[in-house]
Amino acid sequence: MGSLARAYGRPLAALIIGITVLWILALIVVPLGAMVEQSLWWKESAGETSLTIDRLYNDIATLQLDRDSATDTEKQAALDAEIVAKQAQATELEASEKNPRKIYGLANFTRMSELHIYIFVRTIFYALLVTLLALVVCYPLAYAVALASGPRKTVVLTVALIVPYAINELLRVYAWLMILDYRGVINGVLGWLGVVDLDNRGWIPFLENPSAVFVAMIYTYVLFMVFPMVNTLETLDRNQIEAARDLGATSWRIHRRVIIPHAKPGIAVGCIMTFMLSAGSYSVPQIMTRGQGGDWFSQLVYRQFYESNNWNMGSAYAVSLLVVCTLFILLMMRLFGVGLRDIAK
Amino acid sequence: MSAASTESRGAQLVLNIYVGLFVLYLFLPLAVMSAAAFNAYDYPSVTQWQGFTLKWFVALAHDQRLLQGLWNSLLVALGVIVVSIPAGLCGALILTRLQAKTGTALYSVLVSPVLTPGIILGISSLIFWRRFGVPGGLFVAVMAQSSFIASYAMLLFLARLQRQDRTQEEAALDLGAGHFMVFRRITLPFLAPTAFTAAVVAFLQSFENYNTTVFAIGGEWTLVTEIASRLRFGLSPVINVVGVIFVALTVAAAVTYVLLNSRKKQA
Repeated sequence: MGSLARAYGRPLAALIIGITVLWILALIVVPLGAMVEQSLWWKESAGETSLTIDRLYNDIATLQLDRDSATDTEKQAALDAEIVAKQAQATELEASEKNPRKIYGLANFTRMSELHIYIFVRTIFYALLVTLLALVVCYPLAYAVALASGPRKTVVLTVALIVPYAINELLRVYAWLMILDYRGVINGVLGWLGVVDLDNRGWIPFLENPSAVFVAMIYTYVLFMVFPMVNTLETLDRNQIEAARDLGATSWRIHRRVIIPHAKPGIAVGCIMTFMLSAGSYSVPQIMTRGQGGDWFSQLVYRQFYESNNWNMGSAYAVSLLVVCTLFILLMMRLFGVGLRDIAK
Repeated sequence: MSAASTESRGAQLVLNIYVGLFVLYLFLPLAVMSAAAFNAYDYPSVTQWQGFTLKWFVALAHDQRLLQGLWNSLLVALGVIVVSIPAGLCGALILTRLQAKTGTALYSVLVSPVLTPGIILGISSLIFWRRFGVPGGLFVAVMAQSSFIASYAMLLFLARLQRQDRTQEEAALDLGAGHFMVFRRITLPFLAPTAFTAAVVAFLQSFENYNTTVFAIGGEWTLVTEIASRLRFGLSPVINVVGVIFVALTVAAAVTYVLLNSRKKQA
């Protein structure tokens, strides 16, 4: 802090520190803390209480009838007292019904239904699969792009890769929706060939298969794997490859011993980004299932917030997702031996 | 491409074909989407061609909700720039002057939003601001997006500051310039090009963000969230028109960039 004050003076240094602290508190740490806190409590269920209240009012109504038909004053007084007592009890319960007790605990996590746990696990599994497939597809591509040179490289890089990368995620998903739709491109072509009969709704329902989400997801996030790998491979000294070749190494061996070790940070970043984006993707499953299917965990989270209006449960779901993503990042860093500074470049 | 020196001819050919196929894979879906914008058929399609038309462009020009969404997107992007550029700048200024250990801890905190799933950022902002009585809407969207866009801005400023020659600032101080003067005349001009780049990046990131925004936006909408909710209720070629405009703008920007670069190299 001292050097900051020496360079910019105390007032400016204070302002710089103030803004950064505000950023950390108001945009990062406290919101995250609020979400975790929200996931750790729930309101006592109101169902039981309202049943009891209903029963009390029934009793009061019966007592009232008894009191009205009763003739001797002693009995009337006794019934009056009972009515007042029951009334007080009902009022008390009504207050707690309007303002149910807040209970802290882990129930939001343990109460997750079996179906939701299944969807959670499946989402993680699919996200891992997307990551793996993207890695396999992108490695040769990144290698070819990074080691090429000349004007054609610039064109391939800037136009062919950056343009689709810069096009909005939703539109990229939408393009696949058009391709796989009932009257989409594939069914249309199959119709021309006479394989399917579109007029009698004999199309192949690609969209009803969960793999439609998978296909669109690879298309949407594959480029997040390409760019980090290209960036690290570009720094590889080509003489290393030549030297290895001159010394008689096979292509396979060169990749395994020279190129892949050099590309490690890029591979780690690519895997982290691809996994994080696909595990937490809401756009792709939402569009590919037209908001009807609940195949992806993010959709469950959204429903907890905007349909069931159960923010506590929704927060617990979100925290679970965050924990898995964090674990994945730590695993990747350990596996590839890279630090956080290598990751965010 | 000419990596011929490091690969045999056959291997090079295979690699080139592979790159070509991949580029085809990237562009064909976009081409399909764009073509359908000009089809007179009521349902976005390329296989049922009913003649060339521009009527969907006219329909878009009269679509109040989409236009309002565009306006909201611009407002949110502006807000994000205002919040995230100063935050990113201050974070970078501190980080460049910190010792390795504290530096890494602070760095981890400031970079963490980039590695957090977008929906989590949206959810945590939604919960946080509701506790101050602020419901989901454009403001919460600005805050949610800024949490990670400020990190991107910070990374850009950090890269620039690493190339800074600090003796300039020190010399100015020695010659009697005040701290404000040094900051305004030396530090800020040095960082100005990066600030511009960061603002452009922030704008683009904000404009096309969906996963964070959809949770933070509440009852309001941006262009992108409106497109997404349209896709739920029957498809319309109007969305394809939006797609065509996006593709055209992006291609134009990329081509301009390539041309400018090659001219710079020739000069």
